[in-house]
Amino acid sequence: MSPTRRSVLIGLGGTLAYALHVGCAPRDGEQTTEPLPTTGTLDDPRGRPNVDLDVRDWLVVSADGSVTAYTSRTELGQGLTTVMHDIVGQALELPRERVHVVLGDTDVCPHHGPTTGSGATKYVGWAFWIACHQMRRDLVLLAAESTGWSPASLTYSEGQIVDSQDPSRVLGIGELADGRVRRLDVDPVTDPRLFPAYVDRETMNVNAEAIVTGTQMYAGDYLPEGCVYGAYLSPEHHPSLARLRFVNYPEARNAPGVVRVKQIDRGIVALAESYPAVRQAIAKLNARWHAPERPVAFDPEAEIRAGAELARVVEDFGDVDAALQDGERVLRETYVTQYMSQVPLETDTAVASVEDGRLTLRLGNQNPFWVRHKVARQQGIPAADVHVISPPAGGAFGSKADHVIGEETVDMMQLTDRPVKFVYSRDDDIRRRGRYKEAVVFDIATALDDDGLILARSIDIYQDEGHGTRYTYRTPNARTRLFETDLPVKHGTMRGTSFVQSIFGMESHTDMLALAAGIDPLEFRRRNVLLPAFDPLLDACGEMLDYGNYEPPANQGIGFGVCNHGGTQLGVVGAEVRVDRQSGEVTVVRLAGAFDFGLVINRRLATNGVKSSMIWGIGAALLEEVDVDGHGCHTTGFSNYRIARMSDTPPIEVAYFDNHNPGHPRGCGEMPLPPTVAAIANAVHDAIGVRFHEIPLTPERVRAALANP
Amino acid sequence: LQAGHYILRVNGEDRYVHAPHDEPLLWVLRDRLRLTGAKFGCGEGVCGACSVLIDGRAQRTCRLPISRLRPGQEVVTIEGLGQPGNLSPVQRAFAEHTAFGCGYCTPGQIIAATALLQRNPAPTREQIVAAMDRQLCRCAAYPNILAAVESLADSNDAGESE
Repeated sequence: MSPTRRSVLIGLGGTLAYALHVGCAPRDGEQTTEPLPTTGTLDDPRGRPNVDLDVRDWLVVSADGSVTAYTSRTELGQGLTTVMHDIVGQALELPRERVHVVLGDTDVCPHHGPTTGSGATKYVGWAFWIACHQMRRDLVLLAAESTGWSPASLTYSEGQIVDSQDPSRVLGIGELADGRVRRLDVDPVTDPRLFPAYVDRETMNVNAEAIVTGTQMYAGDYLPEGCVYGAYLSPEHHPSLARLRFVNYPEARNAPGVVRVKQIDRGIVALAESYPAVRQAIAKLNARWHAPERPVAFDPEAEIRAGAELARVVEDFGDVDAALQDGERVLRETYVTQYMSQVPLETDTAVASVEDGRLTLRLGNQNPFWVRHKVARQQGIPAADVHVISPPAGGAFGSKADHVIGEETVDMMQLTDRPVKFVYSRDDDIRRRGRYKEAVVFDIATALDDDGLILARSIDIYQDEGHGTRYTYRTPNARTRLFETDLPVKHGTMRGTSFVQSIFGMESHTDMLALAAGIDPLEFRRRNVLLPAFDPLLDACGEMLDYGNYEPPANQGIGFGVCNHGGTQLGVVGAEVRVDRQSGEVTVVRLAGAFDFGLVINRRLATNGVKSSMIWGIGAALLEEVDVDGHGCHTTGFSNYRIARMSDTPPIEVAYFDNHNPGHPRGCGEMPLPPTVAAIANAVHDAIGVRFHEIPLTPERVRAALANP
Repeated sequence: LQAGHYILRVNGEDRYVHAPHDEPLLWVLRDRLRLTGAKFGCGEGVCGACSVLIDGRAQRTCRLPISRLRPGQEVVTIEGLGQPGNLSPVQRAFAEHTAFGCGYCTPGQIIAATALLQRNPAPTREQIVAAMDRQLCRCAAYPNILAAVESLADSNDAGESE
């Protein structure tokens, strides 16, 4: 287990702490949305911060010559522990056993923002890489100072300061650990070529042994002495519509193992001696609800359009209306997507206790400082009196960027002086949290010229943020508008914000344009893509599927999807599918993806994330759909929410390119998903000639389309 | 429901527990015996994160009442297969293939793979997929899980620690 800073201080004698102040502008000068802290004061070395944003020790050198790195970013399964370990280890030329990484602990870690947007490696990992190099130079100066050796001939090498003129002069960095705190202002553009020197040399995750032996501790694996389990009664309907009619308190209170059942501000809480007992107590409440006044029927498209208001004009140039009016080849279409849920295998789980007189909360979370802030505010106590620790999460995908379970769990402590554990049931994790990936309506109209070039494009997106659509294809006239609707179904993030939905519409439409122009879909994209960096991706993807020589068997076909996420991550995915006309079942035969997200830092982990994202694309295209109507959501678990399994997973081939922003690392876990969805839909069209305007392409939907062409 | 006294055979040891008859084995293992390797994932026996070996067969435990265990049945959890520094061949293959993302479902995956390889040391790809298909992995590490199990499909030593 990684040592806490306190144990480092107490157990290993002296330390040398580096509190770093690093600007976060990436090397191409682009502004980021997630700046690292730029202001604040160095906090008390005992780790009692008193401000939300503070500059703290990033790196601590211990007397044993090991180095510990601290960041508020958290391990969600993306491999951050391993990446951080290897970045620090490689920058400081230290073996794995001399590097420790502490993540997500608000008492000891500097606040590096939330773990979102596939950004931990590209922002924080990169900042640590630069910081470590700066620290090497500072260690040389410190060594010269403490020994009187001339700094001119001293260099840092493998955790030692060595004198090139005198081989007898060697000083381990541990010997410099004398309790000092160094504060460095690190210039993020010191050496733009430093990062590419990093090579993934390791073949196993740092925590691989812990994972395969079941000894990696997730939040739910903590069981403080005397802990009770808590649960809330969750509404049967959309929370904003739910009104309770009846509950049977005596039955619940008399259930075995029950400690308390009581209404608090947040709702009805049960506390019991075990997880099964607390769930039984909630069931014994036998809650009955008033039927909501709103109609139960729910047509997502109509609901989303009704009452929609223009929220933002994303782009508007040229004369779109004139081009669409005059154009001879104009195609207008609408695409609609489904509600989805993140369903990480670990449901949201929090353990609250009082340790050393302070409120301590353990939960696998993407944003522990935000949880600390919200819990402290809710309890009316200073943030410094709340200690939030995020152990590794059992998956998150956007679902654990929220603070709600932290507040819910701390509220339960009103009813007991014992520690409380709140484990969301699977139903809670879908419906109580309720932050679904939203359904989106996507209206698109395009005018083509005689050469198959896009003359004008109009996009109206309802409920979506419109990411990714405006960067893919060139056009002289374009307008993209976003409309928002207030629905009882609340939405959140899921592996990216909402560009999955837009790309499905955009790329399905692009195939229809190619068809209208009589041009091969891959060639049509080559002619219209905005960036030349797409060309090698289109070529590679076609080659991986041997598209040029492809002679499809009956009911089989190939399709492509293109995505440009935020102008920085480019991807082309190709899918081959087979459609069973009788059952309506779509089988993905193989997938190929060609991506340009800059420098790939750790190919093994990147490929895991990329393939995972592509497999989610299979789920979004074919399987996943939360069942929502006007009264509520009826999806309660894996028995009625189908996610991709091993048998749904085809051979997947991926290739990486680094032409668009050479040498700059980018996120890679979100972007492959949307073009995979589109590629599958386009392959289905190629296979059976049916264009679907809605996903998922369930067997029922496919059968219905084949029966009524 | 009443509580009762049980002696369970877990990872080769007899363990005494006093628990309600209907308490699922998962919670007996996790909270009463502090063997937290088996995970709660769905509570409806669908995801497989709670799998353990019972007399050599992979079984889900989140809905299996402790009273349904017969005396003398051998329960082996992920902790009983191998420990850090002493991995079972299946555990080592999963580690070497990075056959996981977050690792939460991994104990269940390894239990299922171990049961498969014990009863069929040389499964075909189709047999592996059939045996592993009910073990959900939301990180979708399926390609590496398949590769890890396939790497063991020819060897005959998929059992406990060496």
